[in-house]
Amino acid sequence: MALPNQQTVDYPSFKLVIVGDGGTGKTTFVKRHLTGEFEKKYEPTIGVEVHPLDFFTNCGKIRFYCWDTAGQEKFGGLRDGYYIHGQCAIIMFDVTARLTYKNVPTWHRDLCRVCENIPIVLCGNKVDVKNRQVKAKQVTFHRKKNLQYYEISAKSNYNFEKPFLYLARKLAGDPNLHFVESPALAPPEVQIDMAAQQQHEAELAAAAAQPLPDDDDELND
Amino acid sequence: MDDLEKAIIISFDESGTIDHELKSRAVSYCQQLKESPSICRVCVERVLCTKFVQVQFWCLQTLQEFLHLRYSSRSPEEKLYVRESVMSMACDGRIGEKGSIRFLDGPSFIKNKLAQVLVTLIYFEYPMIWSSVFVDFLQHLNKGAAVIDMFCRVLNALDDEVISLDYPRNAEEVVVAGRIKDGMRQQCIPQIVRGWYDIVSLYKNSDPDVCTSVLDSLRRCISWIDIGLIANNAFVPMLFELVLVEGPPEQLRGAAANCVLAIVSKRMDPQSKLSMLQSLQMSRVFSVVAGNGDSELISSLAALLTGYAAELLDCSKRLDSEEIKGISTELLDEVLPSVFYVMQNCEMDATFNIVQFLSGYVATMKSLSPLREKQVLHIGQILEVIRSQICYDPVYRNSLNVPDKIGKEEEYRMEEFRKDFLVLLRSVGRVAPDVTQLYIRNSLASALVSSSERNIEEVEAALSLFHALGESISEEAMKTGSGMLRELVPMLLSARINCHSHRLVALAYLETVTRYVKFVQENTNYIPLVLAVFLDERGIHHPNIYVSRRASYLFMRVVKLLKAKLVPYIQKILQSLQDKVGQCMNSDWSVKVQKSSGTEDGSHIFEAIGLLIGMEEVSPEKQSEYLSSLLTPLCHQVKELLLDAKVQNQDDSFEKIAVIQQIVMAINALSKGFSERLVTASRPTIGVMFKQTLDILLQILEVFPKVELLRNKVTSFIHRMVDTLGASVFPYLPKALGQLIADSENTAELSHDCSLRSFSKSYRFRTHDLLNMSGKRLRGLSFKPKEMVSFLVLINQLICKFNSLVGNILEELFPAIASRVFHVLPRDGFPSGPGSNTEEIRELQELQKTFYTFLHVVTTHDLSSVFLSLKSRVYLDPLIQLLLHTSCSHKDILVRKACVQIFIRLIKDWCARPNVEEKVPGFQNFIIETFAINCCLYSVLDKSFEFRDANTLVLFGEIVVAQKVMYEKFGDEFLVHFVSKAFQTAQCPQELAEQYCQKLQIVHCLVYGYLNFIRLSGISRGLPWLPKPQKTFPMLMKPLPAFNIAYLFRLEIRRDEIVLLLSKGSDIKALKVFYQSLIENLRHQQNGSLVFR
Repeated sequence: MALPNQQTVDYPSFKLVIVGDGGTGKTTFVKRHLTGEFEKKYEPTIGVEVHPLDFFTNCGKIRFYCWDTAGQEKFGGLRDGYYIHGQCAIIMFDVTARLTYKNVPTWHRDLCRVCENIPIVLCGNKVDVKNRQVKAKQVTFHRKKNLQYYEISAKSNYNFEKPFLYLARKLAGDPNLHFVESPALAPPEVQIDMAAQQQHEAELAAAAAQPLPDDDDELND
Repeated sequence: MDDLEKAIIISFDESGTIDHELKSRAVSYCQQLKESPSICRVCVERVLCTKFVQVQFWCLQTLQEFLHLRYSSRSPEEKLYVRESVMSMACDGRIGEKGSIRFLDGPSFIKNKLAQVLVTLIYFEYPMIWSSVFVDFLQHLNKGAAVIDMFCRVLNALDDEVISLDYPRNAEEVVVAGRIKDGMRQQCIPQIVRGWYDIVSLYKNSDPDVCTSVLDSLRRCISWIDIGLIANNAFVPMLFELVLVEGPPEQLRGAAANCVLAIVSKRMDPQSKLSMLQSLQMSRVFSVVAGNGDSELISSLAALLTGYAAELLDCSKRLDSEEIKGISTELLDEVLPSVFYVMQNCEMDATFNIVQFLSGYVATMKSLSPLREKQVLHIGQILEVIRSQICYDPVYRNSLNVPDKIGKEEEYRMEEFRKDFLVLLRSVGRVAPDVTQLYIRNSLASALVSSSERNIEEVEAALSLFHALGESISEEAMKTGSGMLRELVPMLLSARINCHSHRLVALAYLETVTRYVKFVQENTNYIPLVLAVFLDERGIHHPNIYVSRRASYLFMRVVKLLKAKLVPYIQKILQSLQDKVGQCMNSDWSVKVQKSSGTEDGSHIFEAIGLLIGMEEVSPEKQSEYLSSLLTPLCHQVKELLLDAKVQNQDDSFEKIAVIQQIVMAINALSKGFSERLVTASRPTIGVMFKQTLDILLQILEVFPKVELLRNKVTSFIHRMVDTLGASVFPYLPKALGQLIADSENTAELSHDCSLRSFSKSYRFRTHDLLNMSGKRLRGLSFKPKEMVSFLVLINQLICKFNSLVGNILEELFPAIASRVFHVLPRDGFPSGPGSNTEEIRELQELQKTFYTFLHVVTTHDLSSVFLSLKSRVYLDPLIQLLLHTSCSHKDILVRKACVQIFIRLIKDWCARPNVEEKVPGFQNFIIETFAINCCLYSVLDKSFEFRDANTLVLFGEIVVAQKVMYEKFGDEFLVHFVSKAFQTAQCPQELAEQYCQKLQIVHCLVYGYLNFIRLSGISRGLPWLPKPQKTFPMLMKPLPAFNIAYLFRLEIRRDEIVLLLSKGSDIKALKVFYQSLIENLRHQQNGSLVFR
């Protein structure tokens, strides 16, 4: 679908809306692609910034116009007005800040009020940080609303492509669509620390070897 | 198009083609208009006549903003106008003469926005001011589908914005939601429900879409309206008819099923719930499920059946009567086959809920023994469901083997997908161990027997099931091989699987063998089989590199467990690993390892070898021989590479660094197997070998001072050697530490130069300095905070291990540490709020935290004199100020506690009894006048000091201890100042202040009373430091239990320890309780009116 007044390209393009609380890393995330660099400093987005991001799939090139919206109310601009004609969306929260996850339902509601029935990906960002506050198994919102969930780390490029791939598949209606070449990403900021990783692994192994408590609560929390 | 429309359209335009100037003019034009008094009228009129959706949206958005911000202050006429306009837009869209457009024909997002506006009015005005809103709306429903659809949108918006508990709500919103629900229940819910019934009856064939909307709204209300309005002879048959009869569109049938689910899930007492469930005759739905394998409807039906089954389960748990329990069990037995059917035959989203229900079902069997025949049957079916669900699709076979991108993705997906099923398997394994083990034996046997290319997935699934079962088996059962394990484990170990070359099969096999290796620990005759698994082409020599690396890691774990039993096999193991050991020195290989991410870096083989040859059971000669055959070539290689790097500066240094890094990690891993006792006491030759190695590896820091990766690896190795070599590591420390801290200096100069040269860069920092933080810090940053963190961690290890022995070294280092840390840490805390979570700030916070740990470690190890050395003196003031600030207001309570503890130590260390010359001039005054008042009183008086928080209470305890210590050290000087000055400023009543003095003195006297007693008892002759008897408190000289006194003197415990021991009694607790009540009293009295800082 052609967007009103949007510069056009001769291959399929989609409007992607990115929402979530301020400081969750929306801008950092889109800037990882090609032109971007990881910004250590935080500058709140004013209103919206649109970034055209191209991906190469086995069915040809596609473009996402990523509407990187302001997460902070006071820099709002047109707020949910930016969602109009959105064709897919990413809701971002920060796994190191619990409140940003608590606000996910509200972002989802506001998004769905303007864009009914579009594919949406929920992204938990900053999974590289050691002391996370929202554990993977505490993330359950996507199950209720039938969204896709990915853990990402904009800083280390971890799972950068996943949200785009999921959305591209949904939009194309082709579950087997895949990216044929990786987009040029800024080099990762963090190397996975081998020693820490090994220790982590050993701890996991030790934990796995423990007999489980005689309880079936694993699924309930 | 007039100016307003143009301005709105321009402000919505993000194509980048609009002139910047023009756009900001448009934006401010719109903004100005929003402020105008007539904005409400402008919006209402415009929304009805414009043909641009952006303009419509903007008008509604502005209207909503207006309602939130300014509506309440408007005149009754204007309010009426707003109400009537909004209502008429929602009901027919034909108001206003000019506007002939039909509002309700517009796009959904406009209608939703309008619904939001109407709900905002309802939020403020229903039912008190605008009580007729729903009743009025109902009058218009006969106008047709568009108005009905709008009505549904309003109710949905009401649910989303006000009622639903899925969103965070504040207290006020919860009250409003209750008010609205009560109003509706009293006034109009029966009418609305009646209307819905009529609409669905009327339109179900002609307009299924509107019926779907109606049922969707209905579903949302069921949880809070009278269930009798829905669960009755009119609604239930209609809903079931929609679900059961072929014909209506799937969305409508699904919506009807969702309503039935809402009825089923309604909260009721179990007795009436069960009657209601019984009356639904749910078995009618089973045949529909069987006939609709791939439809969209199946997800709703699956959710319905699962929800129904879960409610039945819940009833049977909550009901006591056996007879009634029987009914629910019967209904459950009836529905379960359909649940299993759905699981195995249908593609749908409800998998998670079903697994959750099945887990609940299995959990109820825990208390039942033996299981009913029916239940055993169900267990079998559940196991079959699990097995079929965790099987990979053969389509991915090749992708998974490599693995390529698609394979990796599928593997990741399956890993996630399997989690819940494997948890379920473990529960099943616990309630029915025999059935489960038999099932696994059979599936393993059948997979192994016909092992051909055909059934790779089957083999992998069987192995994975067996692996997962291991987690539900206790250690004891594992060792003794209870149940069928005695048969299963040998079967696994001796299995010859044809498809072993497949990566996933090989991995599952290795993981499973590792899981059950405890059995081998007790049954040592299987050791050769286990070793063969890991050492031949099934394990470390598997052609697939992912398998062989994982095998190395798992082998290490196996060795850890079995090592005592492996002594006779060491020679053989070393021989078969020789080729892999050599790889470490190969540059191609090292580069490859580092490029591929992952945890299996190859050093695990060395760790395994270290564990084996480091045992005392190995003879000294053999041990030296093994170790030197490994260390000599590795060290030699490092030396060569370093020599090479010194003479020439080539481009291949990346490869060199990779190899060196690999070797350091290998040696590090190898050394883990050698204990300090062995290396330093029983076999000093081994110690010499490690010292030589350390000497060589330290040269890496000289040659490559700026390579962070190598730095980290060498630092890890130093950590290791501190542990292994003990005090004999000392001679190496000055060089190592000097090198580590000097390096950051070099880097510092380098980055300083850079920032001077590129003025533009630093300028950018300044202009972007939104947080008033990042830029300043970045420019001043002369080293990486991370480097300093790892350096401090090393120092902390040294202090903890060697105590005051490292005093001299620390004295040398402290000025350098302090200057660097103070340079970057903000004195006044970190910013908070959004945006404070940046990478840079996080790194600095990490540094800050480590620095406090360092200070704490220094003081608690009797090294506080380090702060007083000549070179360190300049940092004393900032250090004390930092500690003070932190102890009063750091947001991490535990950090504050650490700082208060540091102060307590400093007071004890630096303040002698009165009349002696001060060790640190001015310190005593600072403590009495500043620390005592700011930290011990003002910071505690602050309301943010939360007594209900456990950590805060611990901090509070330390603060009270600090007061006790101050009184001990400074006596009345402290007390007078604290009570007469500080308490008075805080307007503390005289009476409370007096009580405080009394309590504090009692604690003090108890301590000294004990000491006096000891002295007077005449036992203390050998301890001249005891204070002179204080005659003032003779009555407090309670006897100390005899064994304690004897104990104290036998061990010649130091003075402060005795004081500590004595004061540990309950009296400090009493002081704590009193001080807390005093603080709460003061807070109450001031009610926040007094500002101290």
